[in-house]
Amino acid sequence: MTIWLVLLALLTAVSVAPPATEAADPVTIEYWHINSPTFGGPAVKELVQVFEAKHPGIKIAEKFQPGVYTGLMQQLQVSLAAKRPPAVAQIGYNLTAYAAGQFPHVLLDKYRQSDPAFFKGIPDNIMALGNLSGGLHGIPFGVSTPVMYYNPDLFQAAGLNPDQPPQTWAELLKMGQTIKDKTGKFAVYLQQPNDEWIDQTLIWGNGGRPLSEDGKRVGWDSPQAIEAMQMWQDMVTKTKIAANLTWEEGLQAFLSGHIAMCLTTIGRQDHMRKNASGFHVRAVPVPRFGSKPLATATGGNVLMIFATDPTQEKAAWEWIKFLLSPEGATIWTRGTGYLPPRAELATDPKYLKPFFDEAPMMRAALQTFPYAKPWVSFPGARGLEITKILIKAREEVLEGKRPAEPILKEASQQANALLPR
Amino acid sequence: MTRRRREWLTAYLYLAPGLALTAVFVYWPLVASTTLSFYDWNLVSPTWSAVGWQNYRELIGNRAFWLALVNTGKAAVAFTALTVMVPLFLAVAVLRVSGRWRDVYRALLFSPTVISMAIACAVWLWMFHPLYGVINSLLRVVGIQGPAWLSSGDSAIWAIIIVTVWKTFGFNFVLYVAGLLAIPAEMYEAARVDGASERQLFRYITIPLLAPTTLFVLLTTFILSPQNLFVPTQILTQGGPNEASNNLGYLVYQLGFEYFRVGYASAAATLIFLLFLGLTALQFYLAESRIHYGR
Repeated sequence: MTIWLVLLALLTAVSVAPPATEAADPVTIEYWHINSPTFGGPAVKELVQVFEAKHPGIKIAEKFQPGVYTGLMQQLQVSLAAKRPPAVAQIGYNLTAYAAGQFPHVLLDKYRQSDPAFFKGIPDNIMALGNLSGGLHGIPFGVSTPVMYYNPDLFQAAGLNPDQPPQTWAELLKMGQTIKDKTGKFAVYLQQPNDEWIDQTLIWGNGGRPLSEDGKRVGWDSPQAIEAMQMWQDMVTKTKIAANLTWEEGLQAFLSGHIAMCLTTIGRQDHMRKNASGFHVRAVPVPRFGSKPLATATGGNVLMIFATDPTQEKAAWEWIKFLLSPEGATIWTRGTGYLPPRAELATDPKYLKPFFDEAPMMRAALQTFPYAKPWVSFPGARGLEITKILIKAREEVLEGKRPAEPILKEASQQANALLPR
Repeated sequence: MTRRRREWLTAYLYLAPGLALTAVFVYWPLVASTTLSFYDWNLVSPTWSAVGWQNYRELIGNRAFWLALVNTGKAAVAFTALTVMVPLFLAVAVLRVSGRWRDVYRALLFSPTVISMAIACAVWLWMFHPLYGVINSLLRVVGIQGPAWLSSGDSAIWAIIIVTVWKTFGFNFVLYVAGLLAIPAEMYEAARVDGASERQLFRYITIPLLAPTTLFVLLTTFILSPQNLFVPTQILTQGGPNEASNNLGYLVYQLGFEYFRVGYASAAATLIFLLFLGLTALQFYLAESRIHYGR
């Protein structure tokens, strides 16, 4: 008799127990990023793994989009047109104004009330990167600065002291000539992907502005911009100390020891460290223009939510919270070199202190960080075309068939006509 | 219902599935795209604003359009020379090889066609590397300083053309092999008995009897080549430096999916369609009068 009672009790317990909802039907959200296998891809996979273990009800379908931030935007616009956007996507700072102005997305201000703890510890000046025209459109995720990687062996081979790399462009030109004469190798490569991040860094660095303060004129025809771009042209075509290569070619040539210095993002420090063949790569801040203070364009992206369904949006917000949590940010910074939005993690022995102690190249980024300027996003519906006009102008400058001044003046005229009046 | 009428109905009944698919996937997009070319739209915005002929006027004044046109022209000429004539001679040569080697050569020459274009481009990217790529290394052996293939405005379009030729040439080669095998051997035997030389055999038997194949190869190469340029352009140069390797197919993509000016891109697509329609009609007209089909 008792046995029947026990069985009955067990059966009742089973039938009234709540169904395991989370395990039954997980929500899958798409996360679009630009992190190729050589640029933080493994870190994304690790983040997904850790997150899914903690949130069995959510699956992350991470999708790499080629062509850096511009490439991702193209795919995103198409997916929005097809009404099948990803739940979360990385939007480069240079494109945030365009995305916020043209794309339907979720405004994130409401989470300030529901999740105040999340916002604590992210400094206002960083949060401002996602705060445009009165609303919070995205959460700043990666923050990067350009740095100058260099190959100490080539310095040594040229009879230069590898502990004293150039700090100004004048020094770089001089040492570069020595490297070229003594080793026959190129001295420097400035990154040339399908964006104008390093170009904006040169303009800021020489005391110019990529865009006027009122947003009505681009600053690429200013004397500072012309001087900086002419210097780049001269390095390529006159002294021939700089290599004019496509982005993939340039990066590979540096890593295989054919170029002594390479200006690109700190976000690649992990890749640089692991793939420099036959030398121990080092990094320092990018060179200054004479006595002018250091100034660089800030790279990286905000995370924006494009999910249209509340369940998807909720999952997307959980994912974003995890990515910026101390645990998520630690994986991210370690795997890339992006600086964490929560700066205190860098000195926390539980999180990133050991990493910063072991990765001396990160010091170059930390030294640069106080001088970080925005990576200007051109406003208006034609903003993407303006960016492309400036990329084309750079390509023409580096071809060296005409001096920089007329090229930049013509490009600026075209660009100004496309800015909103 | 008369017999004639019934036949007519049956014929269209059989044709209906094909016609329906063509209408939905070819003619409807064609009409939609032409309509769109008179509007300004960014794919996402709910409103289309009518702009009349503005997109066409802007296109005519756009340097990139003319450069793309010239580059596509260069590519078309290069393709005609390299992917129509060279495969013909190779096909003739390979068929003279006997035994197992014939199949080996056939497989070797056809293999680029089956490799994914994106993967092939990644390989070509390294072969074109100006500092240590295999192409410039070989050129150095014979004392030539090769160009910076992908970052020099003078060579970028040729790099794209080389990759595309390499990729498409095997397909035409196979078509020619099939065409050659279809020529009855008795014709050659008869001509030989009459004392014809090898050159005469090629000139008076091979070329005329291959004419239908040649027309097909010419037409498909001519129509497909601007489309085949797209993937290498996207992967190797993105149309750069400074538009130097842009071409009509890539330009439409650039206007539509890089700048998101879908109306403007549609105007370009419509002009390109008309251009190729005219050229194809001309080609048909010229070729039709000189080709002998059948036995």
